[in-house]
Amino acid sequence: MTAYVSRRLLWLPVHLLIVTFFTFSIARFGPGDPVSVAAGQFRDPEVLARVRAERGLDGTLFEQYWRWVSRAVQGDFGESFLQQGYSIGELLRAKLWISAQLNILALIIVFALGIPLGLLAARANGTWIDPFVISTLLFLTAIPVLVLIPPMLWLFSLKLDILPVGGWGGIFDVYWIGDVIAVPIPDPHLYLPLFVMTIGGFAGIARLVRISALEVLTEDYVRTARAKGAPESRVALRHVLPNSLLPVVTVTGFALVSIFGGSLFTETLLGINGIGRFMFDALQSRDYDVIMAMTVIVSTAFVLLNLAVEISYAFIDPRIRIGTESQT
Amino acid sequence: MNGPNTQNRLLAILLMTVACLVLVVGTLSIVANPSARSSIAGLFGGGGSTSGVSGGGDGSTSGGSDGGSSSVDVGDIKNVLRLASGDPVTMDPHLAGDSLSAEYIVEIFSGLVTITPDLRLGLDLAESWEVSKDGLVYTFVLKPDAVFHTGRRVTADDVKWSIERASSRVPLGASRPSTTALAYLGDIDGVRDNFFGLADSVSGITVVDERTLTMRLTEPLPPDLFLSKLTYPTAFVVDRQQIEANPRNWTRRPNGTGPYRLVEWRLGERIVLEANDRFHLGVPSVEQVLYTLSGGSTLTRFENDELDIASVSLADIDRARDPQSDLNPLYKNFPQFTISYIAFNTAVPPFDDPNVRKALALSIDRQKIAEVTFNNMLAPATGILPPQLPAYTPGDKTFPFDPDAARAALAASSYGSADNLPPIVLTEVGGGAAARVDTQAFLEQWRNELGINVEIRQTDFATFLDDQDSGRLQMFNAGWIMDYPDPEDILDLKFHSASSLNDVGYSNAVVDALLEQARVERDSAIRNDLYKQAEQLIIDDVAWIPLYFSQSHVVVNEAVGGWFEPPMVIPRLRFINIER
Repeated sequence: MTAYVSRRLLWLPVHLLIVTFFTFSIARFGPGDPVSVAAGQFRDPEVLARVRAERGLDGTLFEQYWRWVSRAVQGDFGESFLQQGYSIGELLRAKLWISAQLNILALIIVFALGIPLGLLAARANGTWIDPFVISTLLFLTAIPVLVLIPPMLWLFSLKLDILPVGGWGGIFDVYWIGDVIAVPIPDPHLYLPLFVMTIGGFAGIARLVRISALEVLTEDYVRTARAKGAPESRVALRHVLPNSLLPVVTVTGFALVSIFGGSLFTETLLGINGIGRFMFDALQSRDYDVIMAMTVIVSTAFVLLNLAVEISYAFIDPRIRIGTESQT
Repeated sequence: MNGPNTQNRLLAILLMTVACLVLVVGTLSIVANPSARSSIAGLFGGGGSTSGVSGGGDGSTSGGSDGGSSSVDVGDIKNVLRLASGDPVTMDPHLAGDSLSAEYIVEIFSGLVTITPDLRLGLDLAESWEVSKDGLVYTFVLKPDAVFHTGRRVTADDVKWSIERASSRVPLGASRPSTTALAYLGDIDGVRDNFFGLADSVSGITVVDERTLTMRLTEPLPPDLFLSKLTYPTAFVVDRQQIEANPRNWTRRPNGTGPYRLVEWRLGERIVLEANDRFHLGVPSVEQVLYTLSGGSTLTRFENDELDIASVSLADIDRARDPQSDLNPLYKNFPQFTISYIAFNTAVPPFDDPNVRKALALSIDRQKIAEVTFNNMLAPATGILPPQLPAYTPGDKTFPFDPDAARAALAASSYGSADNLPPIVLTEVGGGAAARVDTQAFLEQWRNELGINVEIRQTDFATFLDDQDSGRLQMFNAGWIMDYPDPEDILDLKFHSASSLNDVGYSNAVVDALLEQARVERDSAIRNDLYKQAEQLIIDDVAWIPLYFSQSHVVVNEAVGGWFEPPMVIPRLRFINIER
């Protein structure tokens, strides 16, 4: 397995070169450039040419790409045009951290609620509960975040006035009991984004678990377990659950990448300065250095997380061995 | 019956867990939110504790909600102005070219001269200025009490060094040249050489003594124009010692000479300014200004008493105007130095024919469109120069809505009728989902009145600029924001045939002559008259269809006195006061 993992890791730089070159070329071939956007009304061609030269945006595509790669390998990802005076690293770190906290919390809720609910629906197959749960979930998955947010804001912030309208205040807030005892509580800014971010994902996971559990329920070993007289709760937890989780693990790999990608609509509509919103602005204004840095981060995360998922198969399902030629 | 029983038990456990979660979360959120707490207290008849200082709670509570980090204490909101804004693109005055950055910069830094709330030129760091008879040499004397936030005296060397930094190849600490230096400082002799790397200093600036310096121009300019340009951040004074000591990060706590000091900047979270109690033009009344950089609708937060000022959007304007509404007494609107227009590329068919342009201008009813689609939040433009600008004249100078005259103009054109026109495409910035509402209305009027079918194309901003610069657009929707209160900033830049910003291919020898004459005319009455003539000629030539002058619609907390939305970015916070 070590050999397999190191082989995969050795490919990472090659993956990155290919991905970044494509992103780089697509960005450069598109119309417009960051200098012209940043200049706004002050578009004296002489001045813009000077700025481009100074920022390494002149010359052929290959020259520009080479300049970028040689700076990037030294850890210099340049400077954003949207937020100057900060290195790309500093800038992304703050925004990534905000998005990551939100997304990790959302994922925990998605899995914590999705898995049991899916299992429950599968176990209730044949009763009214199963179609009820599934159709409710289908309905929830189908609501776009864009549509969900305004009514939620209206209800919880304006009518009931119990949640802030948007923004970000970290994960914990402190509630003071008589100005003496500090009790950490979840920050009220969290609830709305978490709600809209989990509602679709949790429904998706539940449906996935249900399908895979339905399959597992018909397996011989489940029948055997029941025949032996094992209590239903034990059958569900020991036999059905672990075996239904394999497809979930695969999804986890992709879901975890979202930690690094942020969520555009939630962040924009709820005024959270996360990475999703920042990326959108960067794309709109051709902020090349930011786009490239994000490409590197997201593709590295993608490769590494999927590798982690593959490795975890071996632990979940003993029949799978990573990196060996012959199987079962 | 073991199976269903377990199943029911599982279901019960799950539902209970969810219910508990909802309860806990719900309770905590109510407990954590002061306004909700008081409303619940009110429910039980225990209200009345909503003291005068509502929303912020007492010092310890708001200090606690900061999570205990080492942030500036914005405890007592009595003398704190709470605004919503965003992260500035840069805090470096020499690099800033956008209004958001400028809003902060004009409060933190300052230059030799400034623009006062009544839009006149005023002295800032300079105690006096004088211009030589030939109009070429300006002499500035600095105020003896002008100091940086750190207390160091501002000297003539600081001014010279700042202008040299702004116009250098790459300003010290920056990663690119300034995009504004040539536009604002380019009239000073030696600035161009400095910018293009042909010199290491600006030869036209001479330090006479510690408090006196002279600037030599390349050609005589009207003082109003040259000094107006010096009010822009590019000409502001920065602290050489600070930048040399910390070139990469100095903008995070810049040392300026403005009415406010930047005491905290947490990216994406908040910016806190504190009054500079040694400010040479008078100490500001508001002690602290807290900008919240994230959060949703400003109006909702205003109504929640989280903000003191909020903008009012089209969706809420009826409520703000309704005399019955509690927002109504707080609602104000202010005209802005911004004009939106439809531009014709006069170099390409069919718009190389003035009669076609005229026909389109005569067949749209801007008054009605401002009423119907914008609920009168914008005023139909009466010319190119917005109100409050020198050379502005009241009275509508644009083409009225006159369908008969429009049809006559089309018939008089070289095309004769709509059928002979080549395809016309109107480009605007947008996501492609729907055209701007007013554009849709224009299209309909052109179709109904003239039988001309105009197609809409939407592109993102970057693409739009690219197409605009390369003259690929046939007809487009755009806007212009004034940078300094001088007609030159719009008429000369956009319509002189040799200007690089003339993106409509407009060329009229008479207009060029008027604009060139105005550039050097030092009598402001004569100069304004030249601009008035040029404006009317440009309108009659229909290079643009001026559409609207924009307005800023806001609601202002009743505790805030003197709030105003200037038509352009100028220092204003020190004119505001709060009485809570």
